[in-house]
Amino acid sequence: MGIGQGVLIPVRRQRPRRLARASRRWPLLLLLPLGVALSLGFVVPLALLFVKSFQTSLGYGQVSDHLTFSAYVTALTSPLYRTVAVNALVIGGIGTVLTLLLSFPLAYFIRFRMRRGQNTILLLIMITLFAGYIVKIYAWTTILGTYGLINTGLERIGLISQPLSVLLFSRFAVLIVVTYLSIPVSTLILVGSMQNVNRGVLENARDLGAGGLRTVTSVLVPLCMTGIVGSLAYGFVVIAGDYITPQLVGGTTGQMIGVPISDQFLTIGDQPLGSALSFLMLAVFVIVYFGLTQLERFKGI
Amino acid sequence: MTSALARLRRRLRRRGIGLLHVYVGLLLLFLFLPLAVLIVFSFAASGQLRFPITGLSLRWYREVFGSSTVIDGILASLGVAVVTGAIVAAIGTLAAVVVNRYRFRGAGVVTAVILAPAALPGLVIGIALLNFFGDLHMTLSLLTVTVGHVIYTLPFFYLVLSARLRRFDPELEEAATDMGAGPLQRFRRVTAPLISPAIVASAFVVLALSWDEFQITFFTIGDQSTLPLVIWSRARLSIDPSVNAIGTLMVAGSLLVVLFTRRFIAESYS
Repeated sequence: MGIGQGVLIPVRRQRPRRLARASRRWPLLLLLPLGVALSLGFVVPLALLFVKSFQTSLGYGQVSDHLTFSAYVTALTSPLYRTVAVNALVIGGIGTVLTLLLSFPLAYFIRFRMRRGQNTILLLIMITLFAGYIVKIYAWTTILGTYGLINTGLERIGLISQPLSVLLFSRFAVLIVVTYLSIPVSTLILVGSMQNVNRGVLENARDLGAGGLRTVTSVLVPLCMTGIVGSLAYGFVVIAGDYITPQLVGGTTGQMIGVPISDQFLTIGDQPLGSALSFLMLAVFVIVYFGLTQLERFKGI
Repeated sequence: MTSALARLRRRLRRRGIGLLHVYVGLLLLFLFLPLAVLIVFSFAASGQLRFPITGLSLRWYREVFGSSTVIDGILASLGVAVVTGAIVAAIGTLAAVVVNRYRFRGAGVVTAVILAPAALPGLVIGIALLNFFGDLHMTLSLLTVTVGHVIYTLPFFYLVLSARLRRFDPELEEAATDMGAGPLQRFRRVTAPLISPAIVASAFVVLALSWDEFQITFFTIGDQSTLPLVIWSRARLSIDPSVNAIGTLMVAGSLLVVLFTRRFIAESYS
């Protein structure tokens, strides 16, 4: 017993010191692969793209080496990009809010109203999430098209006499599809944030006389504000930065800023202009992020 | 009209079905509608995508399985997903363990840089990589695609694994140290066995994300196409009903993967 104590006590005393020493040496070595991957695959490419946004195009994919703001001036003054930028903001804004409003009741139902079967419904949502990005957009062309489900259905019941052409290849179509695409992730984010909310808190609010809607808006919403802000931030970036959905269902009115950006890099385009446009887009995202975190702080009090 | 609605609502309420139930049912219908359309049209005999369909056939499936571009696309996507999963699991596990277990200066910056790619649209990562590979005079191939996928999936792997790591009892590791284990031995004998199910679950998330990645791949792809690129080339140029058959197969694949990993999913939401 005496020997055991004699051995144990010094070891116990040493432990914090040893961990502290190890923690200074090990992290740097273990983070080396991560550092290499993120530098070469992310930080350096992004920095080089930023440099490119200050160069000028000489045509045929060539750029001059001296740095100017001319790409930014073109990006901000050319009327060509104003419409698509406004489209991205409007579709991004409406789509994001719509996604939140549609997902929130579903998340609330899964978290608080289901006694069993939560996992089944989460699995169903995951199936729609992983069913294929391009494939899902393509399916919507079949639904919204001239001879699609909606037009045929409306004609059958006599509400319209000829197909509605506004359904597909329009801003409306883009809005429907991007909202559809972001609902699964938004729901999963919201369910995740509601896991931290105790069911009892909501019941207490009810006992104190708050109605069902009042309980949700003044008790549940502030408590899962992180999830709400996460859903909005995620949705806005994914929707406003989408350059594929507009190409497949946007027609001429539903194009967004991502499409001209990608065009500059695919064909022999003006790469500095494309870089400048994407950094202006990122600047708007940063402003939106900042606004949303302010919202979180404001509601959290 | 209103009284009919009120009557319906009363009748549903008597069976314990409220407006919220109806809403959730309609939303799930909305989420599954495109998938149902894909499945129905994948068996259509006609090449025209008109409602209602006339006649059933398996011609689109024969076309898909007979097409070498589709088969090559599937193989390329699987290859990229597996290599991406292995790389991300190795790098990401080290990062998550170090950041969550050790205190060191700059941990916040490390986390921010790991998560940053998830806060950017795929478009920006895609053009940045295209520009970078161009500067290096690198030929675009499945290798360059894999680089993009590693960067894109790393934040998700890190988030899922970190959430799990925070739930482990740190005293188990302290006990190992008390008994004289060094940092490496402690990781190999205690930490790794404890977190390996979480690593597998997070790696499946990476596989699923990589398998379906399009926005970055679009800019980093060379001569060989991944499956989403094959689908894109078919869906963009004309109405190609074979996309429905590929889509149905992807829905089936999604179902299988989700069923296979449902234990992990259930745990992460409990």
